[in-house]
Amino acid sequence: MELNDLKKVWLSADTGSLPGAADMVRMIRKYRSSNLAKKIAMTIIAAVLTALMVFVVFSYKSVMLTTRIGEALIIMAGLLLIISNARSLGRLHRVKDHTNKEFLSYLMQVQRNRLKYYKTTQVAGLLLASSGLLLYIYEAVSANLLLLCVAYVALAAWLYVNWFVIRPRAYRRQAMKLQATIDKASSISKQL
Amino acid sequence: MGFEELYILYSPQVFRVCMGYINDYEHARDLTQETFIAVWQNLPSFQNRSKISTWIFRIATNNCLRAIERAGRIKTTELPYDVPTVQEESIEEKLVFLYSCIAELEETERIIISLLLEDLPQAEIAAIVGLGEGNVRVKIHRIKEKLAIKFKAHGIE
Repeated sequence: MELNDLKKVWLSADTGSLPGAADMVRMIRKYRSSNLAKKIAMTIIAAVLTALMVFVVFSYKSVMLTTRIGEALIIMAGLLLIISNARSLGRLHRVKDHTNKEFLSYLMQVQRNRLKYYKTTQVAGLLLASSGLLLYIYEAVSANLLLLCVAYVALAAWLYVNWFVIRPRAYRRQAMKLQATIDKASSISKQL
Repeated sequence: MGFEELYILYSPQVFRVCMGYINDYEHARDLTQETFIAVWQNLPSFQNRSKISTWIFRIATNNCLRAIERAGRIKTTELPYDVPTVQEESIEEKLVFLYSCIAELEETERIIISLLLEDLPQAEIAAIVGLGEGNVRVKIHRIKEKLAIKFKAHGIE
């Protein structure tokens, strides 16, 4: 079969069911607002929670240093979450004019950055929030020994589950997916 | 050129290229829509450093490559190599056969042959894929050979 015959077959594909231009514009507007809304909502929630913590710092005059340090650590964790969310918000719709070859390198780099995020930024955020919480509640429960024990056992159990059950599982799943994409992109890249 | 004109002009081409890569009608439709979402969002910042068609096909083919993130396998239909087809096939059957032949090629080969079948000049294909023109020419030659073998096995000369 000659190339021209192939082209004739190729061009016979039915493209009539693609949405019309006006429908497409409507769909894009809807898609853009829903996707953007999710990211913005996450950033706003993190900002509100951090602002709430700042408000608590100024309205509730704590006596112990542990409470002050705890507040500072929780605020730092909140700021870290806001910054990383805001940065990904900026990247959400930007498309660079990449050739396929450049794009594959870019894709691998993005996946490596994500892996690094799970290994470093996320761990740092969790560490700040966990230690902040442990220090923060001390002043409130230190007067009553039973309450202190119950609060710390409950908090320790919750942190244990977060650190040693939920996070490793989620990390393993994400890391496997990201590594698979890196490997596949690398093998396609070798074709070029 | 406004977005709607670009969409009318290029969406059938982009759809066929996506279909050539992914061999799945619904997925190709989604990829076409994702391509034009990106075109819409980035059109104001398009700097005319390349032809607009090159830019659109780069977005489309990069979107196809991004499909590896979803880890879905490309549909390949089993081809009856042992029994050459003798009866005359309809154009739809020929198209299904062509897609399944292309689906068996490597990812970058699928992109190159799809762009070639869209009648893009080799220089533009090279600019989309990121290879030299000479390299693209060699690849096209190899792809044609691979397809010819598949067609011959199917009883199509």
